[in-house]
Amino acid sequence: MRLEKCWFCSSTVYPGHGIQFVRNDAKVFRFCRSKCHKNFKMKRNPRKVKWTKAYRCLHGKDMTQDSTFEFERKRNRPERYDRNVTEQTLKAIPLITKIRHERQKKHITNRQKQGKTKERERDAKELEQDIQMLPKKDVMLSTQKTKVVVKVSQQQTEENLMEE
Amino acid sequence: MATRIQFENNCEIGVFSKLTNAYCLVAIGGSENFYSVFESELTDVIPVVKTSIGGTRIIGRLCVGNKNGLLLPHTTTDQELQHLRNCLPDQVVVQRIDERLSALGNCIACNDHVALTHPDLDKATEELIADVLGVEVFRQTIAGNILVGSYCAFSNRGGLVHPHTSIEDLDELSTLLQVPLVAGTVNRGSEVIAAGMTVNDWTAFCGSDTTATELSVIESVFKLRESQPAAIVDDMRKSLIDSYV
Repeated sequence: MRLEKCWFCSSTVYPGHGIQFVRNDAKVFRFCRSKCHKNFKMKRNPRKVKWTKAYRCLHGKDMTQDSTFEFERKRNRPERYDRNVTEQTLKAIPLITKIRHERQKKHITNRQKQGKTKERERDAKELEQDIQMLPKKDVMLSTQKTKVVVKVSQQQTEENLMEE
Repeated sequence: MATRIQFENNCEIGVFSKLTNAYCLVAIGGSENFYSVFESELTDVIPVVKTSIGGTRIIGRLCVGNKNGLLLPHTTTDQELQHLRNCLPDQVVVQRIDERLSALGNCIACNDHVALTHPDLDKATEELIADVLGVEVFRQTIAGNILVGSYCAFSNRGGLVHPHTSIEDLDELSTLLQVPLVAGTVNRGSEVIAAGMTVNDWTAFCGSDTTATELSVIESVFKLRESQPAAIVDDMRKSLIDSYV
């Protein structure tokens, strides 16, 4: 049993799901669901279909190159079974997936950070240029006088009363 | 010493087993008689490994190997790959290759020094063969057939080819492979030599349909007759044992 990748959208195909198509040149195409299979039959290029991993990686939306991806490569030359190595691998797998997910999230937030800074710049410019559009009472101009409340001490007023 | 056996009443031994100088692979699902014949000849000398390839039993035609390595098709599952790696000695390099022609046993015939391949094989695969098996690779046809792996069987000492091979072809192949070749049949006139028998430097196994004439031809061309097991093992000891502890 092997968890394969869908040829169209690159999601994992679990056992019991999807369709495999074998072309005459012996190339095997695996699909996770009929949506991907039908898109393939329509001869759509996954690099142009926005929701696929191929598009997202090509256009820099998702993280492409990272050392955590190297762990999940398909290997054609096996190593002899070693219990300790297997145990450590099994312990490492959830750690690696956690790190990978965090790095992918970071990649996306970094990508969106530029948008945030641009938004602030736009807002600052709008404030500078179009401040006259707002009603005067909502706007605090630096030339206006501000009312300041001064606290009078209790002892002084009592003295005054005493004198009278 | 050539032995006659059957796998589930079928005489095509070369389909269900693979014999080399360093290991022997047999298909699962046969009767214990089948294994006991292999084990009686080979137990202490080389490991006899029961396996399947891609869930099938036709392992002899799907894989190709010699004492240096074993090549498997892309249909081999990860579990089978791991099983083979665990069971075979460390000097044997186990490699799975991505090749359109996945029946490697039909496309490639090899011994420890030379390999004949299907003329349409990928360049990358050819390089892998040269690297993993440590052989010199020649693209050839045998009697006009491109499936060289099925129509000839050769070891380091001799070879048997398709009966309709012309004499010029025979001479040409003989000079390429540097072993004496003979055109003959196996299993009462079957032309598919490699499917009907499996051979290494000191034993051969044929289908039980093989006639006495065919058997004598096999024993003479592969030089099995004078091989007393002890003498051969002493001769082979250098190739079987890597280092003395």
